[in-house]
Amino acid sequence: MKLILSTSNIMKGGRPSVIRQPPTQKSNVELINSLRSNFIASQQIDTPNGSTNGDANGSQTSRQDYKSWTSEQDGALYIPAIDFSQPGLSEERDQYDITVKLFYLPGIPVSRRCAHTREAIDLVLKELHVKSIDLLIVSFPGILFDADDDSEDEEASTNGEPDDFDSMVQTWRVLELLHEQGMIAQLGVAEFGSERLARFLPHTKVKPSVDQINLKDCCVVPKSLILYAKQEHIQLLTHNDCNDILPVGTTRELLGPTEHGSGILASAPEAEDGIQGDVEPQWVVKYTAVVKDRGVVENKGYFALADVGTCVKDRA
Amino acid sequence: MGLLALGTALEWPEAKKKADQVRQWGIEQLLANWRRARGKERDALLWGDEVEYLVVALDDTAKKARLSLAQAEILKSLARDEALWKSGGCKNRDNGDHDGEEPPHFHPEFGRFMLEATPGRPWGIGFKDLLKVESNMKWRREIAKAHMAPNESPITLTTFPRLGTKDDYIQPYYPPSGPALRSQFVPDEIANPHIRFPTLAANIRSRRGRKVELNVPVYKDLNTPSPFKDPTVDYNLHQWPEDDDVRNGAAKDDHVYMDAMAFGMGSCCLQITFQAKNMTEGRRLYDQLSPLGPILLALTAATPIYKGFLVDTDVRWNQISRAVDDRTPEELGEAPLKNDRWRIPKSRYASNSTYISQDPRLRKEYLDPDLVVDENIKKRLMDGGMDELLATHFAHLFIRDPLVVFSEDLEELDLNKGDHFENLQSTNWQHMRFKPPPSESDIGWRVEFRSMEIQITDFENAAFSIFIVLITRAILSFDLNFYIPIPLTTENMETAHARNAVLDKKFYFRKDPFPRRVPKTPQLSTNNSTFSSTTSSAVNTPPPSPPLGPVETEYELMSISDIVNGCPDGSFPGLIPLVESYLNSVNVDVETRCFLASYLDLIQKRADGTLWTGARWIREFVAKHPSYKQDSVVSEEITFDLVKAVEEMTAKEGRNGSVGWELLRGKKKN
Repeated sequence: MKLILSTSNIMKGGRPSVIRQPPTQKSNVELINSLRSNFIASQQIDTPNGSTNGDANGSQTSRQDYKSWTSEQDGALYIPAIDFSQPGLSEERDQYDITVKLFYLPGIPVSRRCAHTREAIDLVLKELHVKSIDLLIVSFPGILFDADDDSEDEEASTNGEPDDFDSMVQTWRVLELLHEQGMIAQLGVAEFGSERLARFLPHTKVKPSVDQINLKDCCVVPKSLILYAKQEHIQLLTHNDCNDILPVGTTRELLGPTEHGSGILASAPEAEDGIQGDVEPQWVVKYTAVVKDRGVVENKGYFALADVGTCVKDRA
Repeated sequence: MGLLALGTALEWPEAKKKADQVRQWGIEQLLANWRRARGKERDALLWGDEVEYLVVALDDTAKKARLSLAQAEILKSLARDEALWKSGGCKNRDNGDHDGEEPPHFHPEFGRFMLEATPGRPWGIGFKDLLKVESNMKWRREIAKAHMAPNESPITLTTFPRLGTKDDYIQPYYPPSGPALRSQFVPDEIANPHIRFPTLAANIRSRRGRKVELNVPVYKDLNTPSPFKDPTVDYNLHQWPEDDDVRNGAAKDDHVYMDAMAFGMGSCCLQITFQAKNMTEGRRLYDQLSPLGPILLALTAATPIYKGFLVDTDVRWNQISRAVDDRTPEELGEAPLKNDRWRIPKSRYASNSTYISQDPRLRKEYLDPDLVVDENIKKRLMDGGMDELLATHFAHLFIRDPLVVFSEDLEELDLNKGDHFENLQSTNWQHMRFKPPPSESDIGWRVEFRSMEIQITDFENAAFSIFIVLITRAILSFDLNFYIPIPLTTENMETAHARNAVLDKKFYFRKDPFPRRVPKTPQLSTNNSTFSSTTSSAVNTPPPSPPLGPVETEYELMSISDIVNGCPDGSFPGLIPLVESYLNSVNVDVETRCFLASYLDLIQKRADGTLWTGARWIREFVAKHPSYKQDSVVSEEITFDLVKAVEEMTAKEGRNGSVGWELLRGKKKN
């Protein structure tokens, strides 16, 4: 079964969406916290008569059955349930810059990316009630940008297996197709150094217009990259996302039966208090809608998709 | 600074007679304009900064720094150049680094030794625009300097250290004690000669019934006499009736005494104006920025010297407040109310006293219980369709009398103009200003943030300007809530005056700025009845459930560092982390982010004490000067060296251990 995790609009979600951290520290805390707080908020739905529960012990001890706050549709479990009839944006489409960043996760077969990309983009379009996005940035697993060393050395620099070059090119074809169909206006990559860019560009029909890099101190971007990006008209943008944004363990904890979990997964192999089986996160997508001429972030959120079950798809 | 129309300005008793008419016409103009503009929507964010300069003339042989009164000549020369520029015939001004930027505008100010400069075109939120701010400010300085005599330059100290002393601190020199100001320290010629300014000063004095009175506590150093009796005060003058003021005790012991509008309105500020998307957003920003006023005042502190003495306060604010305080003894509560309508707790120049946003989070408890309102005006506005909050705001501003009234303007009421409205609006100098769209223009609803002190370098001025802009974007994006009761903001404003308040004092601030997550109602059941609580303390629409706690639990005393950088225990997130978080949610290019990081770094370090404020740096400069005698006196020689150092700092910005590294870099080597 597919699990579709969502944060809803984290700009309006209160406290957990902004957290105190060294500003340039990469982090997936935003994603994890906002998923968790969205799950909790969804479990605290007021019943029509106003009282949350007849139980005097309060809400923590008597966890609601997850079925009451999630919904199942076409073989996918939405955690929490999403009401797609809610309006996505308050103004007309052309007032916004919509940026989407898609994280392909480590260890997931490249062959699934075509489907994953469509799946992710479709959810965002549905959530925001729009027909297209302005910029899609894709993050390939295992690439780390190192400002101190421009010769990014993929084999040595990662803990997961590096994404091989051919698979990136293959994935790019899918994106170019979506671009052609008018669904995405501009494409971008993340963490590419100048050498990788130079190798990549000849294989593209639609050139990336953005390279998003994470730098501890963005004032030390390698000169070679600045020059090359300028020459190729690629905009260098900054971000502070972390590369391995949704590890398996974190996902299990988030959905599990423990104190910090949301009780989706069963507490024991035989228990019937949740879904049985292994969890495997497939992708994460982040979307941001910014009112262009006012610089106001009106809507920002994440979707994540995980497969769960005893027969999680074979990694073919 | 307001309108500079020409005409016959009425002297006080005459102007007073016209006050009701001006107010009434002003209110009708406001209503007409409000009806026209209330539906204005979707205006872009446009913003502008205003930088004010002192014009100093240096005499290297005599080692003297003086204020230059050449404002008019400089402005004339600048205007000629601007006209030439517009006609496209300008070749001598190098526009090289400022391609596509309009030439800046220069404006007169109250002091004849002052200049104000604004960007030629307002800024947008495009991040590329943010990068231009600092270089544009530097460009303004260059252009201004190019129109001055070779020994003159524009500097951005808030006040001139020896304004009002016995020496020849102005050029050309005029003796003090003129008919408009009647000051024993400064001549009338210190003010802009445009009829508006001397009239303003004279009518404030006449209305008040005596001269304005500024007593600033002196900084007691080792050799400062105690009690300190301001040695520059002359008790034997008999030229004007107001010369009696000092004989009646106007000059207080242990204080530096000043007696003219020029001591306040001659200060330089850094003000930022934003255009909001619509009236609703403007009203929201007005409210949310208000509690930040005192915080930014303390962070930008730069005013430790008055009339040749080190004082025990760090900022200019209260001095300006007193310099234009036109309240009568009755209004001040010093005499029983007979002729005046009410007692008024604050000067026309003061921290603001109203919240105006139709925000469900605005609670009754936040409003100022001592607010004075003209009920008739409020009624007229509400009868005209305005909501109570906004009507209250303007009916509060309109308790004041108009100070400068031109008889020509009182012949016919023109509802397409805003001159009478502006007459009162622009002489209510509160730390926030809510500005309706000017009539007959495409400009939208605007909000002005007015509390900051001007900084010595353009790097700092750009940093603070941009910080405020980014804060507004974070407020709107995260739907932040900084509401605290208004009297606490008033108190914070006082707190910000203390010497080294930025590090030593604590300020009331809201603990949790985040919106409450509105509990989702079960889907499909749009059950509004759950929201109609009767125990509401919200001013506006229904309160969010669950019920709110006592207001006192919403705020606490925090250090500036906690407010800016966040509490170590994580309870308050901090303004800088909020801005960072905002920046992480938008697409920012590498170069811009690097620039922004250097600005945010400055503010972060000012707040935690790694970097000094201008006030602290000036104090240390004086203290370490070889000719300083630990007696609080800032001599002509020290002033000359200080101005020289300030000029050097403006150019070198503390790089490589050059002067001012303590307030710009934090370490001598980098």
